[in-house]
Amino acid sequence: MPRLAFLDLARPSRRHWLGYLLLAPAVLLIGLIIVYPLFVSVDLSFQNVNIARLDQPRRPFTTANYERLFASEEFWYACWVTFKLVTIVSFFCFLLGLSTALLVNNRFKGQALARLLVALPWAIPEVIAVVIFAWLFDSSFGLMNWLFIRLGLVDQTINWFSSPDAAFAVVCTVMIWKGYPFVSIMMLAGLQSIPEDFYNAAKVDGARAWQRLIHITIPSLMPVIGVTLVLVMLWVFRDFSIIYVLTGGGPLKATQSLSIMTYEQAFGFFKMGYASAIGVITLIVCVIASRLMIARAPDNI
Amino acid sequence: MAGIRIDSVTKSYGGLAVLKAFSLDIADGEFVVLVGPSGCGKSTMLKILAGLEEASSGTISIGERDVTDLAPGDRDIAMVFQNYALYPHLTVAKNMGFGLKMRGTDPAEIERRVNDAAKILGIDHLLERRPRALSGGQRQRVALGRAIVREPQAFLMDEPLSNLDAKLRVHTRAEISALHKRLRVTTIYVTHDQTEAMTMADRIVIMKDGVIQQIASPDVMFREPANLFVAGFIGSPGMNFLKAKVETTASGTTAKLFGHDVKLPVANAATLAGKDIVVGLRPEHIAAGPGQVSFTVIPRLIESLGSEQYVYVDLPEEHRREASSGGEDESRRTSLIARLINPDPRPPEVTLTLSFDPARLHVFDAASGEAIR
Amino acid sequence: MRRKATQHALLYAGVALTCAILVFPIYWLVVTALSEPSQLRQLPPSFWPAEPRWGVFGQIMAERPILLWLGNSALAAIGAVTISMVVSVLAGYSLSRFRVRGGQSLGLFILTAKMLPATLLVIPLFGIFRNLELIGSLWSIILAHATLIIPFTTWMLKGYFDTIPRELEQAAMVDGCSPLGALVRVILPVSAPGLAATALYGFVLSWSDYAYARTFLTNAQGNWTANLGITTMKGEYISNWSDISAASILVALPILAIYLFLERYLVGGLTAGAEK
Repeated sequence: MPRLAFLDLARPSRRHWLGYLLLAPAVLLIGLIIVYPLFVSVDLSFQNVNIARLDQPRRPFTTANYERLFASEEFWYACWVTFKLVTIVSFFCFLLGLSTALLVNNRFKGQALARLLVALPWAIPEVIAVVIFAWLFDSSFGLMNWLFIRLGLVDQTINWFSSPDAAFAVVCTVMIWKGYPFVSIMMLAGLQSIPEDFYNAAKVDGARAWQRLIHITIPSLMPVIGVTLVLVMLWVFRDFSIIYVLTGGGPLKATQSLSIMTYEQAFGFFKMGYASAIGVITLIVCVIASRLMIARAPDNI
Repeated sequence: MAGIRIDSVTKSYGGLAVLKAFSLDIADGEFVVLVGPSGCGKSTMLKILAGLEEASSGTISIGERDVTDLAPGDRDIAMVFQNYALYPHLTVAKNMGFGLKMRGTDPAEIERRVNDAAKILGIDHLLERRPRALSGGQRQRVALGRAIVREPQAFLMDEPLSNLDAKLRVHTRAEISALHKRLRVTTIYVTHDQTEAMTMADRIVIMKDGVIQQIASPDVMFREPANLFVAGFIGSPGMNFLKAKVETTASGTTAKLFGHDVKLPVANAATLAGKDIVVGLRPEHIAAGPGQVSFTVIPRLIESLGSEQYVYVDLPEEHRREASSGGEDESRRTSLIARLINPDPRPPEVTLTLSFDPARLHVFDAASGEAIR
Repeated sequence: MRRKATQHALLYAGVALTCAILVFPIYWLVVTALSEPSQLRQLPPSFWPAEPRWGVFGQIMAERPILLWLGNSALAAIGAVTISMVVSVLAGYSLSRFRVRGGQSLGLFILTAKMLPATLLVIPLFGIFRNLELIGSLWSIILAHATLIIPFTTWMLKGYFDTIPRELEQAAMVDGCSPLGALVRVILPVSAPGLAATALYGFVLSWSDYAYARTFLTNAQGNWTANLGITTMKGEYISNWSDISAASILVALPILAIYLFLERYLVGGLTAGAEK
């Protein structure tokens, strides 16, 4: 069956066309739903628009949004909240994730089940995680208030969601609970890729358990730790659902991260241009972070 | 079945030329082996022949048909891959029949041909299995079977034995040769193993850095290597090389080897006077005990295989060649190996007399590496 | 010997305790769902309801449009995953096999796109969808979820195709397949487990979304997704935690089921593209 010579992509001289052809749908779709919106976003951030209507004539170019932003106390406070959140949540995600990974990596009966359970919170949608913790920290009948009183930590019920510090703590708790399984899964994968021979050699050399941890396990995990750290920090940085559903950014903006502020400005106050300016700032942070990660990523995990 | 004509095929990736003006005529039914070290371009040539890669220039015809820019499926060839590339989701029978099915062959005909091929290869009891349930040797047979059922113009084989263990490799080597004798299908076989090339080929094409070094039958390749590379590559262990200078003495044109003036077996000896040469001597052409040219050595190491012995001797400084940048094995440059058949047991580091027949010497131009005859 | 046994006991105790604490919130969700609302207001709380009300799930489905929400979530996820998979299979295969000019930059861009905050894209997408009159329609979140899914699935599939030897499609082409034929007849069947894992991963991403659904669908009650519906329950029925918990379990179940299936592929999915 002779094929049309020109269209016959099986011919050696035509085959590389197929590479482009296969990429075309992706390029088209990504162009339409990611790249174009990104341009719109940047464009909006330089206009004074209060509602995103693309069918209206473009407003004049202005840097007013950015000027207002950098002069706004709210923005810098949101940066501070975001920074606190990223630092605290990442730290505890690692503490918890690494220790559960080390624990579960031991050989014992039921290891498979333990692995499954330890990473289970990963499989709970964020909104559902919020429901669970909102009830656990309920101000009147929540289990946590009861527990804290029983343990003698407090003498009356705490209204978790009206105190800025308490609300911030609850947000952190939910994020840590939702985020540590990722670290745990990654660390387990990393641990399993360390050759058994390393440990045998160290045992022969007389290294104790903690020495093996410090001198073999942690250094071997370093590349994975680096990538995981960036991914976790980015996740906290970008997260919207947990904070928005749990506290809406309150009380007194104590939990308003940059993501929440962007959303509130855009869809609470309909200041689309101003919100886009914040979005562009977060975009720049994300791009730098992901570039850092790509540059440092190990060849394989 | 058909002959294959490859005319000045080149291949380069960017500025890197991996194949330089490759030309070869293959007769109908011939078994040609492309051999050379890794990166010599032999696999690239095979892929171009199959249509899996595009040639940068040059033409290829199979039979009388120009196939240079034809799809692999339109070339009427079959290929056996190093990793067999069996379709893991299909049974052995479906694997073997896949190519026929793609060509719209009648199912009854496919079944008949698959059964025939399976019988020839002794895998008819495996037809309903999946590849993952087969051993390495069985997979290799299925890969051969997949090629046979197509009854193609030519077989292309890309290191088909390199994933088998040593014993099975020797066995399968003989089987492929037998299969070729029976089917008489033009076969191009790529390998890095000179033993496979020597044992299977009608003609060997030996390659290095994308350039053909010599095209010849195994015997000619062994007896009359065209240059130092071929001489060193063919044979196991490879040929010994000794640096020397041509001199004119009373007994004619000679070179000083181990202190003796040895007459060189070359035609126009007179024109060579004063030239730097490399003298080649095959390990199996060195004998224990005195002979026409004898010399005494203290072996550095003696390896015994029972039926034969490898005697390793440090070359005297004056016979050592300059280190080349070609990544050549350092020990090849500084030592001489003698292969003694049915030897007497002997300890190392005890003085030993070895000898050779000057007629067995090979002479190469030290500068160009080309053989001088 | 004695010391080893002690160590073992300690290990088990440690694992059991850790698992208990970490999984307790999920357990508590189940307890809450199965308890009478009145029981929940008693202190000290009971850690297993005296009379578990197993009927709560049927009851909540009758009282609330949970099935509609789940159906919408499923429709959106299936739509987004289908679009993403078609596009990603082709692109992943191209990135894995062909040296296309600009292919590497595209790969890097896709990798960066994985890190984009939803709160950034949601603004321009809102404007675009309003122009197209898609706000309130499931199509809006199908397309928006595709922006989340495509970067993941493309890299996951590229990684999976990289593990399949090229010789397989070369053999198919020598056997007479066109390059696309080789993809369809050989590479895709061989990749079935990888395709399934990738698609399920995309499903999880779509199912877990809240930001896009909240923005595009809030005013279209008939198209609410499960996550959106749950949050509206939380807002209005501040006291009826047992109903919300029951609904939450129904929403979380599909993802939990997928998780059990996916566990061994998880690492591949989470790290897809993390390596270069």
